[in-house]
Amino acid sequence: MKKHPLLVALCIVAAAIVLAFGPMVLPPFYVRVGQIMLYSAGLGVAWAILGGFAGYASFGHAAFIGVGAFTAGLVESQFPTLAAPLLLLLGFAAGAASCAVVSLLIAYPILRLRGTFFAIAMLGVSHVCSEVTNNVDIFQGSLGLNFPQIAPAGMDPASFFYEVYLAGATIVLLIAWQIRRSRFGAGLLSIREDEDTARMLGVPTERYKRTAFVISAVLTGMMGVIYAHSLGYITTESVYRDDTNLNLIVYSLLGGMGTLFGPVIGAGLLVFVTQVILARLLDFHLFATGLLLVLLILVAPGGLSGLLKRRKTAA
Amino acid sequence: MNLVAQTLADGLVLGGIYALAAVGFSLIFGVLHVINLSHGILVLMGAYIALIVSTELHVDPMMTIPLVMAVLFVFGYGYQRFLIQRAVDRASVNSMLLTFGVALMLQNVMIWVFSPDMKNITPSYAFKSFTLGPVTLDAVRMSALAASLVLLSCLAVFLKFSSLGRVIRATAQQTMAAQLCGVNVRHVYAMTFAVSAAFSGAAGIVIGIILPFSPNDEAGWTMNAFVVVVLGGVGSPAGALIGGLLLGIVNTLTAQYIGPSFPNVTMFLLLVLLLLVRPNGLLGNAFSASR
Repeated sequence: MKKHPLLVALCIVAAAIVLAFGPMVLPPFYVRVGQIMLYSAGLGVAWAILGGFAGYASFGHAAFIGVGAFTAGLVESQFPTLAAPLLLLLGFAAGAASCAVVSLLIAYPILRLRGTFFAIAMLGVSHVCSEVTNNVDIFQGSLGLNFPQIAPAGMDPASFFYEVYLAGATIVLLIAWQIRRSRFGAGLLSIREDEDTARMLGVPTERYKRTAFVISAVLTGMMGVIYAHSLGYITTESVYRDDTNLNLIVYSLLGGMGTLFGPVIGAGLLVFVTQVILARLLDFHLFATGLLLVLLILVAPGGLSGLLKRRKTAA
Repeated sequence: MNLVAQTLADGLVLGGIYALAAVGFSLIFGVLHVINLSHGILVLMGAYIALIVSTELHVDPMMTIPLVMAVLFVFGYGYQRFLIQRAVDRASVNSMLLTFGVALMLQNVMIWVFSPDMKNITPSYAFKSFTLGPVTLDAVRMSALAASLVLLSCLAVFLKFSSLGRVIRATAQQTMAAQLCGVNVRHVYAMTFAVSAAFSGAAGIVIGIILPFSPNDEAGWTMNAFVVVVLGGVGSPAGALIGGLLLGIVNTLTAQYIGPSFPNVTMFLLLVLLLLVRPNGLLGNAFSASR
């Protein structure tokens, strides 16, 4: 069955509209959980543009969350009198620009690495960014950075940020969908399957990888800008987090590596499990995440969509 | 001049220990092509076992090396045979994530058992030191360095001359050909992992003597091992030694002349520089598995 190309986009938009009513019906705790789910889903999809489509699994995307958030905060603090919507736009522009510059700078050396080497080198990038932010005074990483309150008066900030996250995640998903069905997206998939053959057949692999890397970094940075605003105050530790680095891989692994909706499903599921089911067992968190990861790789290396596919072919 | 000599000497001592701490990681990667992200956990397990045994039995921590190596040898064999082997033939990122999952679980267990506090092993000669020309060396660091060099040499001899060592090297070079010659590859993989775990545990003792440690350090030791392997080249004690010494010198020089919080930054810049000019590592072929 051939799906009509616009059908997927319509489904995404329709789902977004339905979800937009969430804060009106959900109790406050679940609005908060919904925020985290949408944030994670947006990040997961942004990660998957490089990690899922092109097969370059990054272990350090928190670097871009941090770079985006800190640049946005520093630029915004220069314009204290600006109106809230303009301020957020300015933050987005600054965060996106800084992530684009950083990712372009490191793209050449780091994309020469493949597989696990790329993954770990990205972890290094994330640690270095975090250390620089923490130790160079102008970034105020150890001191912390305040963000102005941008929720409109009369609206509950939690609901407001829920909607902003929803908008962000929807845009990221639409961009990923557009990439997936373009020639560029097909090129990325061919890189994942066999990079050397793809290059031999005339796919401009270097340019495609670089573009995917920059797009993924910029979108991650923009989610980071929203995250920083919703927290209101960030330090180095609150944005450069190793558990984020890991979770971004787990979302795709759980939902299905390289699929469009895999990271969304994986993020929703993992956030539900850790925030709702394990909410009272904080000491147990690390262990549970590790166990989940081990079981996932041993039992379902293709993720949930892989399991479904295996069932289908077996039947 | 004195400061430079002292810094270089400290760097070399630290580098020798980095080399020992990385050699297990290097061997596993060279033979199994698995990035073992639970490497730091193996190192810390060695340190904690040595801490408990040496305080309970009042023996010198160096005396616990055989015991620690034996325990980790058995642990490593089982860990590889029952868990990692199941993911070893799949995509490399999967085996890496598997070891990461195990690392998270064991780190949590260590926090329950040993508390998240910093610990250190204090031998009886903790505060003795001696001078050599312009350079002051303390006894603890010197014994740690000596232990590292002896252990590294033992491993090199083992790999070079013993029959198991020869089989391990053959498997690393051509897994398929080794299999055709009758090598039981699964057994060799497990033995390699066991030997690597044993040496990681021994490195843990040496580290525990000179530096404080806590369950949260494991990622740092894994990263260090990775950098050492990329710098030196994969799969050989000599590569680990070169990479380790280089890293040790760079770390102490940075901490001395740029700032105590920047060693990771220079370490990473060095890594990128090396990838640009010599992507195979200084010795050997670090990236054959990733190409």
